[in-house]
Amino acid sequence: MSSAIVARAAFNKRIATAFTRQALRPLAVQQARTASTEAAEFKYVPGGPIYKGTVNDPTTFPPPSRTHGSYHWAFERLLSAGLIPLTAAAFVTSGSSFPILDGLLGVSLVMHSHIGFDAVLVDYLHPRKFPVLGPLLTWVLRATTATVLVGVYQFNTNDIGLTELISKVWHA
Amino acid sequence: MQSLVTRSAASTWRSSSVRTFASSAARSQAVPTEKPVLQKEFKIYRWNPDEPAKKPTLQSYTIDLNQTGPMILDALIKIKNEIDPTLTFRRSCREGICGSCAMNINGQNTLACLCRIDRNPSKDTKIYPLPHMYIVKDLVPDLTNFYKQYKSIEPYLKNDNPPVGREFLQSQEDRKKLDGMYECILCACCSTSCPSYWWNQDEYLGPATLMAAYRWMADSRDSYTAQRKEKLQNEMSLYRCHTIFNCARTCPKGLNPAKAIAHIKMELAAD
Repeated sequence: MSSAIVARAAFNKRIATAFTRQALRPLAVQQARTASTEAAEFKYVPGGPIYKGTVNDPTTFPPPSRTHGSYHWAFERLLSAGLIPLTAAAFVTSGSSFPILDGLLGVSLVMHSHIGFDAVLVDYLHPRKFPVLGPLLTWVLRATTATVLVGVYQFNTNDIGLTELISKVWHA
Repeated sequence: MQSLVTRSAASTWRSSSVRTFASSAARSQAVPTEKPVLQKEFKIYRWNPDEPAKKPTLQSYTIDLNQTGPMILDALIKIKNEIDPTLTFRRSCREGICGSCAMNINGQNTLACLCRIDRNPSKDTKIYPLPHMYIVKDLVPDLTNFYKQYKSIEPYLKNDNPPVGREFLQSQEDRKKLDGMYECILCACCSTSCPSYWWNQDEYLGPATLMAAYRWMADSRDSYTAQRKEKLQNEMSLYRCHTIFNCARTCPKGLNPAKAIAHIKMELAAD
């Protein structure tokens, strides 16, 4: 009986040492590997295969901002819907007799296209993926929009105005 | 009793049309009709992570459709069983309720188990994994980010004052609001068919997750609707949806995630 117990204890000890050897070695290897390659290979890249946190962590949300959220969306939709009657009105009137309408159409069209181009930049050239090109093109777009707005203002006040121009080109 | 059995047995023996112990089995059994061989080619996306430098390829398999079940999944299982055991894909329920076998079949994201094989033998069937996902192997995409996003919208009932000691009741009208949303099985067919999700899937939640989000916003028993809405008030999470409608078109369960997203947008704008 006692010899059996001794034998079993020896057996258990052998298993235990084998187990710890097995368990510890990969861990050490693993630590060495992460230490050497973590910075190079497993760096987080937006949209890449490496995720933030563990697989059990939920993704995070950007800070809430209604200006970038529902206000932006509602403004965009109202502007698009408003352009329909505005364009129709420009058709039936002449720009020179209704300069306010002409100016409103010019501003709305430019803002509408600005929002459209901005959506393109956010979709395809977001600053998180393009840290240089993204912000650069955003500012290029802003500058362009501002320049076009000034141009439309100059054109509408000093020249024939947008509606007249389109009707002239149409009939040319 | 003994005599009754003997008599009935005797009457059966006398009628010639019934098979007796005396007649041979071959005479009364129907001869199975031999089906013609209908060879069909399947071209399946293959990529092995053990050979990461090797580019993914389309591997061609030809099987006899008359020896296969009617669905694409049957063909895949037949190929794996009989031709190439290394072919890797996910499948579980084989009846469109688990969402495991979502893949891109002939250019359409759908469940292999719900997709019939086109029986035209002159045309091949191309099978790819879900588009624009990181691939684990062959037809198995990495859905980790998809599940992390689903977790982020807290897809469970949140209410600080649930009724004590009784059921949490809901009117029939309120329950009807959840129809068409609770059926989602999260197969990721819709999200991976969405170009916006392709370009911005780390920030944009995608149709499946957004429909799940609206399922909990629309639930009359949930009291965290305002907080749920507030989370989506940013440029990326919700508003990268440009109403492309690929999600509604591809959904193998016939659901309409685009409608749920439209509802979210309307409710956020009305806030």
